[in-house]
Amino acid sequence: MTTTAIADASAAREERLWRWLMLTPTGLLLALFSILPILNLFALSFLNVAWKDGRAEISAAGLSHYAALPSDNLFRAGLFNTIVFAIFAVLGQLVLGFVLALLTSRVRRGSVIFRTIFILPILIPGIVIGAIWKLMYNPDFGLINQMFGLVGLGPFDWLKSSDTALMSVIIVDIWHWMPFCFLLFLAGIESLPQDVYEAAELDGASWWQELIYVTLPMMMPTILVTAAFRIIVAFKVFDEVYLLTSGGPGTSTEVVSFTIYQRFFTEDRAGYGASMSVVVIFIVALMLVLALAARRRTGAAT
Amino acid sequence: MTSKPNGSTTRRAVLGAGAILPLAMSRSIAFAQAKQVPITIVINQSPWFNSFRQTVEHYEKETGNKVNLDVNPFAGSLEKQRNSVRASNGQYDILIMNSGWFAEMYAGGFLEAITDIDPAFKLDKDVYTLGDTVYYDAAKKVMTPAGKLMSMPISPLIPLLYYRGDLYKQNGLKVPETFTELEANARKLNNPPKMYGIVQRGARGPHTVAFDFYPYLYGFGGGIFKDQANADYTVTLNNEKGREALDYYIRLAKEAGHPKTAAFDQAEVIQQMVTGHAAHIMMVIAAWSQMDDPNKSAVVDKVEFAPTPHVVGVPSSPGLGHWLGGISKNVPDDRKRAAVEFFRWFQTPKAQIASAKMGAIPISAAAYNDPMSNERRYRWMKPMAESLKHAVNIYQFPEASEVIAILELGLNRAIAGEITSVAALNSMSDEIQAVMAKNGYKTGKLPPLK
Repeated sequence: MTTTAIADASAAREERLWRWLMLTPTGLLLALFSILPILNLFALSFLNVAWKDGRAEISAAGLSHYAALPSDNLFRAGLFNTIVFAIFAVLGQLVLGFVLALLTSRVRRGSVIFRTIFILPILIPGIVIGAIWKLMYNPDFGLINQMFGLVGLGPFDWLKSSDTALMSVIIVDIWHWMPFCFLLFLAGIESLPQDVYEAAELDGASWWQELIYVTLPMMMPTILVTAAFRIIVAFKVFDEVYLLTSGGPGTSTEVVSFTIYQRFFTEDRAGYGASMSVVVIFIVALMLVLALAARRRTGAAT
Repeated sequence: MTSKPNGSTTRRAVLGAGAILPLAMSRSIAFAQAKQVPITIVINQSPWFNSFRQTVEHYEKETGNKVNLDVNPFAGSLEKQRNSVRASNGQYDILIMNSGWFAEMYAGGFLEAITDIDPAFKLDKDVYTLGDTVYYDAAKKVMTPAGKLMSMPISPLIPLLYYRGDLYKQNGLKVPETFTELEANARKLNNPPKMYGIVQRGARGPHTVAFDFYPYLYGFGGGIFKDQANADYTVTLNNEKGREALDYYIRLAKEAGHPKTAAFDQAEVIQQMVTGHAAHIMMVIAAWSQMDDPNKSAVVDKVEFAPTPHVVGVPSSPGLGHWLGGISKNVPDDRKRAAVEFFRWFQTPKAQIASAKMGAIPISAAAYNDPMSNERRYRWMKPMAESLKHAVNIYQFPEASEVIAILELGLNRAIAGEITSVAALNSMSDEIQAVMAKNGYKTGKLPPLK
């Protein structure tokens, strides 16, 4: 081995060492604040916690909490409604967000006004959103029923009917989170290479063909990432349901976060609530992996 | 009551303080000298809270002692109490506990018996013991006077029947004593959407539809357990009486009630009554003051009160939805003694009568026997005193919150029409039996209803 090669190998070793030294504190912090709580939750899901003489008595529960989940009516209803909620809410947000981003990107003057208006809902705190929409849906004086009243329909009690409650909450979520999709899509559309559009124009492509064959394929990675983010957040929905319907009537708007709240906090069943939480974390993680895989495939294709 | 100081001192503040000092000194003459350390009470924001706040202010004025109130929503109050009593040093001296969770505090060993803090303390002879729920025998795990005095009643809440007296007069109706009479009167007055014969609370919540259903269940002669007082937790919810009660509840809602019963919570039921759209409600007595409040009610002086109906041969059986005050074990001794002093004052007939005049529901028979109960404004007091004799303590075990959650879901689904009453009763019974068995109680269940 030459002197230069030895020096190079030594420098590489030193660089590796420094890299590890620099990364270790961050890694430890990550383990402490992110992984440890999840491991703690996972361990708790195999335990029972009872209180006696002012002290916690912990006993092993084995797999009993996980075994009880499939027969839990509330958890089943919550899981089903959450999936329905996530699919329809995210679809609505993606379509609306994309259409509005496309239209805004074509506005030559005053587009900042549209941007400001479209992103307003995302800036409003959840509790205010609850108050706004509780008023909007009010059967006696709500704006929505007044509009229906103009054409001789209603009044409808949107939040108190099993047939319309979930749809009503989905609409609120679309309104609340559409701006998130809008912002990402607008940034994506505005950064697309213009030469591709110029080429399409030269080839005589119509507006529709441009959208289907140029814009959408090039935007697909952004759409997938946005969809993945939104599905994960939609799966965690809590505040809108809590404020508008509290999971009812019946189980029509029960969502899984609300079920966890009920079991873990209200009923004080820490072990069982932890098992429910672990299952939800697993589902969300699985969706994230699937979305990333899909993005990788799409990215490679485009 | 006190509020937290902001900790900053400016020249203006010092000058202001100088100006206010003489005034404050003259004012302090009217107040008694504080003899106890300040205490903190954790409490929920309920319809009766305002009267409790005024009662506390009255106590502060009379004694000079300071009381801080930590006010929370229903579920939030429970969570704060759990966090405080499970810590090594408690934040709250007095816990205001609901009928759904005081057993959890007793059995968990989180409270100090009042008589352990002050062996000379005696419960006033006129104070209702509310199904003896103020006592707890830790060895036998039962609520009996043979146990220790663990808490002070704060609000003896039970439901009463609220009905429109003016409509009864116009239609020549008799005040209903039985469920048959109530149904007939509700049907007679039902004229939706202008007027609903009865408005019920069917929404799912922390203790919502289940609390509304108890007077029906027990008034039909049914019950959740076979013999709770003797620790026999065999589940009897799904017997014929349980079915009759639930079918009756649902029939009333469908045929003489509000179409949105399954989504109605307490606020909506009260709203229907005060806006003049309900002929009857079965509601916790704490809402009485709203009926005659001209700022909130369109039916001032039109609402009358009666004990909840029942079937022939069974007494009126309102479920206790009362609130008890317990003293935390994990707070310093001087704060425990100060908490006992508050209770000593609170239970006196004088304090109770004053409290009733502020809108509270008294815990002492002395207030119900006072001439004030003959006044038109306090017309609810006589039916209340009558009902308290038959009030039923629904739970005396710490896992009550699990059972309540099962009832809330099952009843709400049945009322919403998601499942039949039979399916609801059978599934609730199975789940309750499983909870009791899991926690080692003597339990069993009936064959499923067909």
